Amino acid sequence: MDSNLAAGLAIGLGAIGPGIGLGLGVSKAMEALGRNPEAAGAIFVPYILGLALTEAIGIYALVIGLLLMFV
Amino acid sequence: MPEEEGESLIHVAIDAEELFAIGPLSFTNSMVGALLASTVLLLAAWYISRRSQLVPGRLQSALELPIELLAGIVSASSTRWRGYIAVILALFLMILVANWIGLLPGVGTIGITHVDEAGHEAMVPLVRPASADLNFTLGLAIIAFVMFVYWGIKAHGGWGYLKELLGQPLYMAPLMFPINIISEFSRLISLSMRLFGNIFAGEVLIATMLALTTAVVFVLPLAFFVPAIFVGLELLFGLVQALVFALLAMTYISVAIAEGQSGGHGDEHGEADAAHDNDSHAAEAAHA
Repeated sequence: MDSNLAAGLAIGLGAIGPGIGLGLGVSKAMEALGRNPEAAGAIFVPYILGLALTEAIGIYALVIGLLLMFV
Repeated sequence: MPEEEGESLIHVAIDAEELFAIGPLSFTNSMVGALLASTVLLLAAWYISRRSQLVPGRLQSALELPIELLAGIVSASSTRWRGYIAVILALFLMILVANWIGLLPGVGTIGITHVDEAGHEAMVPLVRPASADLNFTLGLAIIAFVMFVYWGIKAHGGWGYLKELLGQPLYMAPLMFPINIISEFSRLISLSMRLFGNIFAGEVLIATMLALTTAVVFVLPLAFFVPAIFVGLELLFGLVQALVFALLAMTYISVAIAEGQSGGHGDEHGEADAAHDNDSHAAEAAHA
């Protein structure tokens, strides 16, 4: 019971930060794309990498949640 | 017991389940998924390489499309891309097929029913997507890790690589060395955990959606459309995660072989970046 609550809190609170971060990253990338559409190829790889690194923090929260639930 | 009800509604197992054991070696259902993925790749490679033509047909160009996409990105990463492109492409294709196998109908739903000591009946699926098992993703991450350490040592020599770990002012080495070591190993952890977490969470998400729309209340249109949306989403995520894994491995390698201060990009690429920078600055100035 306690660990269920903790798991829910871990993923719920842990998703806030990466959510904000992903939103900022995508908004800046879209802004850059709007200003300079030819740069799409140059933006793509750093964009995906940045999103992946930001998202990793959310995944850490998910892992903690899974550990609390199943281990 | 609310917990047991939840358990019977959706079948969630964080570790791969054993199908049978050969002595001390257990054969799990994620191994079936990995074998299936490699079989698919080998058969596709065999079939395509036998009847490949210079002017590709429809099937051949469909199969060459992801390879060309990634090859274009990898060849822009560094001047020495030929050495590691094969590993990156292999990682990408293996992860892509392993991810998408989890979305086939029957995977995770066809299985063997086991009755454990407590008398609970549990179904063990025959096939589990390989990348929803931490062993598989950690194995791939170790391959990528060995590759970028090997390329780093090959490019800088053993002493040069060690000097990079020690940090720039040598008197800071006692502080920087542990931090650098930890950051090297955190790449291993984050590569494997990201792939595992995404694919496992996707599996749980689809199972939950199916359970919500079929097992709790069976509403006919919802039961087909709601899981279908999430299956489409997981198709996208499977591709994105395979791409992310391959791109991160590529970036780590190209940073490892980069000479000193350069940021791991080829010269002509850097110039193009600078040109784009100027453009955006000019646009900003005009906007202001």
